[in-house]
Amino acid sequence: MAGRKAKRILVVGLDCAAPRFVFGPDRFDLPNLQRLAAKGCWGRLRSCDPPITVPAWACMTSGKDPGVLGCYGFRNRRDYSYEGMVTANASSIRAKRVWDILSRKGRKVVVLGVPQTYPVRPVNGWLVADFLTPDTRADYTYPKTLKDELEQAVGSYLLDVKDFRTNEKAALRDRIFALMHNRFDAARFLMADKPWDFFMMVEMGVDRLHHAFWKYCDPRHPKFEPGNPYAQVFRDYYQALDARLGELLALAGDETAVMVVSDHGAKAMQGGICINQWLIENGWLGLAEPPNGRTRIEDCRIDWPHTRAWASGGYYGRVFLNVEGREPQGVIPAAEYDVCLNELIAAIEAMPGPDGRLLGNRALRPRDLYREVNGVPPDLFVYFGGLDWRSVGAVGFDGIYTFENDTGPDDANHDFDGIFIMDDGTGRKGEELKGLQLMDVAPTILELSGVAVPEDMQGKVIG
Amino acid sequence: MEKGATICLRGTEAGATAQALAFRLIELGRNAERIDEDMIKRLGGVKRAAFVCGLLSRNGVFAVVTAPDIRPEGNVLEMEVDEHDTPDFAAEKILDELAERDLLRMDGVQYTPEEEEAIRKRLADLGYVE
Repeated sequence: MAGRKAKRILVVGLDCAAPRFVFGPDRFDLPNLQRLAAKGCWGRLRSCDPPITVPAWACMTSGKDPGVLGCYGFRNRRDYSYEGMVTANASSIRAKRVWDILSRKGRKVVVLGVPQTYPVRPVNGWLVADFLTPDTRADYTYPKTLKDELEQAVGSYLLDVKDFRTNEKAALRDRIFALMHNRFDAARFLMADKPWDFFMMVEMGVDRLHHAFWKYCDPRHPKFEPGNPYAQVFRDYYQALDARLGELLALAGDETAVMVVSDHGAKAMQGGICINQWLIENGWLGLAEPPNGRTRIEDCRIDWPHTRAWASGGYYGRVFLNVEGREPQGVIPAAEYDVCLNELIAAIEAMPGPDGRLLGNRALRPRDLYREVNGVPPDLFVYFGGLDWRSVGAVGFDGIYTFENDTGPDDANHDFDGIFIMDDGTGRKGEELKGLQLMDVAPTILELSGVAVPEDMQGKVIG
Repeated sequence: MEKGATICLRGTEAGATAQALAFRLIELGRNAERIDEDMIKRLGGVKRAAFVCGLLSRNGVFAVVTAPDIRPEGNVLEMEVDEHDTPDFAAEKILDELAERDLLRMDGVQYTPEEEEAIRKRLADLGYVE
């Protein structure tokens, strides 16, 4: 919609919010979210590859893909040595994000809890960093003076949920709710106290809730037990969140364009694929000595001269080839890289599940996914069973399938589609939009702000 | 050797911005010297100060100048500081400009090894990594 311009823009990010609970047949009664969608437009928002908080929020807010950003997940190889995975934070993102661009155009911005904003960098306004802040003793606000103001206004600022890996679910539930309320309290304070043209916040509690409680709430989860005491926790949380959103919408006023977005969705997790175990059993990975029980791959002595590939675990798999002239003890001749990679892709995609049927894995090459490939990417991304299964990097299992998470309870994996809702005041009357993807959000924010969209942004303006 | 430059700042907030800029440059691992009116007097006048700026910038140092009437030698950037910008934000914009001109690598602040391990454990607990 050419010429559309909003007086102010509010973006509320709900990490991991699932379309199923907001738009779909299992949707909860969420009057504020659903009113926004009914007045404006809405749809599923395809995440990036990989569909994970880091780098998804950076892709969304820069309009650039992970390859251009050179960031492929929370931890990335620093170089082609065997050591040195480093955690990606704001320092990893050189690209300008929407608040940087708007700041440089003289717009006042407020940024709250958006992933990959620690360490903080100055903006034309106020910034409160995200859960990748080491702790609240660090300088997690810009300007520095905001920290005291914020902590006076909301009490302690909660970076994240503590003690996530626990079976004490009632207490965990309460902590996740507390995180959500703390974030919205901070948002309400900043929204009322600071002059702003652009306000963006991200609430992480939805993600924490999904991972901790999916098996209690989804009858289709393999571990669901009817009548369990947490069966309504998703409903209760989404409804409480919706009520808090309503407060912000009232504060923001009718002349504010509003977007509610999520970086990816969620689904039941069926189990884990022990990818390094599989690589060992199929002759790709050698260990200098057998593991003593279940052992993180990082704690194993890998027999590099007899290793062609190794992997890391998480919600998706990352596989690295051991290439001659690239890795210190590489064995795959550079000229055979593609042949080797294709062989591995075929083997991964032919992997059966425990029932003997094809799992439906996808193994993807970065060069096929991204406009550019910067930094040190994995050689393959793997989505096991369409993300029904997570990737387990540890070894020492009996077989390649595990139904217990080796780091503690976790019931959900990510899914490819998050949510997009926008009311820009143009009266779209509940129009459903198709084909939306994460990188469309930044150009849309800029267009709504009346700011030229940089040519190197990869998404399109929505609407 | 890394390239330096003389950065001449103009505007009402030039002094505070120069301070913020010098601090950030040092934080980014670069050398920076402020050349204000006091420094010009100590150097013996604008001509000598201009020569010193050229010398510094040829040797990889950023000379941040907030005195008028100085005509530095060598690689010179003239920048007007927006009176609406805070000094920190104005400094950040100047850093962008330096990075654009390949005079600066913006590597950013890294975690300490202890912070890195604490965050890795936290991310592992959350299921993001192992």
